Amino acid sequence: MIAMRTILSRAAPVLACLGLLGIWQVAALLLNTDSFPTAWEAVRAIPSILGDKESLINILASLRRMAIGFSLAVTVAIPLGLTMGRGRLVASFFNPLLMVIYPVPKAALMPIIMLWLGVGEIAKILVIFLGVSLPVIYHSFQGAKAVEEKMLWSGAAMGLSAAQRMIRIVLPAALPEILTGCRTGLVLALITMITSEMIARQSGAGNILFNSLDMGQYDTVYAMIIIVGAMGIGLDAAFESVRARLVKWSEPGFDIPLSFA
Amino acid sequence: MIEIDHVSQVFQTAGRRGHLALSDISLEIGEGAFVSILGPSGCGKSTLLYIVGGFVKPTQGAATIKGKPIAGPGPDRGPVFQEFALFPWKTVLGNVMYGPLQQGIRRAEAEDQSRRLIEMVGLKGFENFYPKELSGGMKQRVALARTLAYHPSVLLMDEPFGALDAHTRTRLQNDLLNIWERDRKTVLFVTHSVEEAVFLSDTVVVMTRSPGRIKQIVNIDLPRPRRRAELLLDGHYQKYIVDIEHLIDDTSEEVAQP
Amino acid sequence: MNPRAAASDVLLGIVPIALLVAIWQAIASFGYAPPALLPPPGAVFMRLARQLGDETFQAAIAATLFRLSVGFSIAVILGVSIGLAAAANPTVNAVVRPVVRVLAPLPKVALYPALLLLLGFGHQSKIMLVAADALFPILLSTYYGASMVEQKLIWSAMAAGTPRRQILFKVVLPAAVPSILTGCRIGLVISCIVVFLAEMITSTDGLGHVLVTAARTFQAVDMFVPLIAISLLGLILNALLQGLRSWLLRGFPEV
Repeated sequence: MIAMRTILSRAAPVLACLGLLGIWQVAALLLNTDSFPTAWEAVRAIPSILGDKESLINILASLRRMAIGFSLAVTVAIPLGLTMGRGRLVASFFNPLLMVIYPVPKAALMPIIMLWLGVGEIAKILVIFLGVSLPVIYHSFQGAKAVEEKMLWSGAAMGLSAAQRMIRIVLPAALPEILTGCRTGLVLALITMITSEMIARQSGAGNILFNSLDMGQYDTVYAMIIIVGAMGIGLDAAFESVRARLVKWSEPGFDIPLSFA
Repeated sequence: MIEIDHVSQVFQTAGRRGHLALSDISLEIGEGAFVSILGPSGCGKSTLLYIVGGFVKPTQGAATIKGKPIAGPGPDRGPVFQEFALFPWKTVLGNVMYGPLQQGIRRAEAEDQSRRLIEMVGLKGFENFYPKELSGGMKQRVALARTLAYHPSVLLMDEPFGALDAHTRTRLQNDLLNIWERDRKTVLFVTHSVEEAVFLSDTVVVMTRSPGRIKQIVNIDLPRPRRRAELLLDGHYQKYIVDIEHLIDDTSEEVAQP
Repeated sequence: MNPRAAASDVLLGIVPIALLVAIWQAIASFGYAPPALLPPPGAVFMRLARQLGDETFQAAIAATLFRLSVGFSIAVILGVSIGLAAAANPTVNAVVRPVVRVLAPLPKVALYPALLLLLGFGHQSKIMLVAADALFPILLSTYYGASMVEQKLIWSAMAAGTPRRQILFKVVLPAAVPSILTGCRIGLVISCIVVFLAEMITSTDGLGHVLVTAARTFQAVDMFVPLIAISLLGLILNALLQGLRSWLLRGFPEV
């Protein structure tokens, strides 16, 4: 009985995927218009996209941009967030700035950034960098703030310098929260990347989506949606398993990331 | 009036084993009696209250009220909880009026009744306050008024004064007795304070620690109305407390032995 | 107390803005950037003020506001209903939970081309995209708020004579309002962001479209104007929501 329940709960997301695809299939058959191919037709178009050299290069370029933007953001944002969490002055300095930048859609800055930096990799990576930084800074900040004073006092008593305390006490203690921020950042990286590619079209998955739209290749459009969706789900699942292993000593958090564009 | 017949309660815990909270409780509670259920933490006394209230179904046995089996909560058995459980989105008046409105009483009549009740519990003037603006003692008065508003035949009180400081607690004990004297409802009162149990009740049901069983039922033969100042100096009152505390100590030690 | 609370929220929101404007002005004044790329704040705000009197710009604001409001409202209605239903009914929960888990990490903006195909290039596609993005935080916060209602509140209501089927609306929903409003706040921010982005990607009107048009003609000032406009719009809407929140939650202890 309990085994059955565990199997069901593990299988549930897969069942949900299949269910959604099923609903899509039925709806498409019912609507019967060109602009809404069935799920099966879309799935069948996937191998041709992945097999096409040009498309594959585009998609990998997207992923690479995402990776660079994400890594840069994390490298800058985590130390910044941690420092803000432990230093009042630093926090008061950056907080207002961040609060203003937060609601601005980073992808919307694309045209302005392109004006400054021209079209190309840097503009897109910068936008992704900005998009990812904010949640990571915020969560690192919260995580560092929540570290118990007493732990740090013990560290100081043991002769650790401020820098050492930061690395050896604050960082591990704040790690669960930091990783939650990274998870949100990862989702945002994907969203920002796709959106900026849709806005400034040269290459990438977003570009493929709209190109096929313009050229009337509707199967490709929907197939690309599935691919992007799979990327999102896959990246999130991969990150989640790494995160769970790194911080298995901590409380479980929400299993669904609350994120925004 | 209330019959508890061989009730046992097993709770499923996280590990597959069940936890026996109550073991074969049988008890009869007469109409108009003020009965305390007394015992150490974890002895299942709240659970017993919840079973009578119909909030929890016993895994074994059954409880009846006036012959009818208890199948769920109802306005004949009104609870008062330690955490107050007031509706935060309603004012004091709104909270107290809730029950009567549910019963279908017209708004004007319900408001009238509620205002009188609020005055009776000593909160006149606070009708439009929200629970968050009240102290613990005041919140509990509202909770009491809210329950009395739908005229239950039984009051189920789950350590109602446990979250209050000592001074507020004694005041509320007095006020509770004053209110109770008016119509002498049946009261089931859960507490871990021996003094409180003896002061308030006609009967004290002493329970063992988990799994909870009835150790002994003690009849409190003290005259009413009960005055704290008098009783504190009364030898009978003191003896009841000493005896019952002794019972409880025995109870606690019972399981402590290897 | 309520107008004061709302006013102080607005004031608190202004401080960081003032700071950013100050930094902006500093960068422009000190000549770190050519005015063609980073026009001084004065120029931008003057242009914004003039644009606000312009009919075409007003129409753009109206279009954006319309789409974002409708999309947000759909997200609220759907999100709260589904969230409550999932909290109240284990079967609904068993179906909804895995579906939400699958769909949550999916960038909804990837659906935009499909929406364009199905609903055309007008209001509907943008409204549905806004709704799709704003739905999840509202649904989740409703669900968590409703599932964590204090048991004794429900018991008190039942003892007072509330029939089981009314408990959801009389107790669970009011008790979950704080959580729901938090989700709505996130949803509102998302709505503002998504509508703007959707208009940038393809549109014939709206604030996002204004930015893209200005980009094509390399008019820096005209690019900043709609960006500031949507930010201000978001701030105003957020302040309104906060005001509503203060009023609705006047009985609740501060969280």
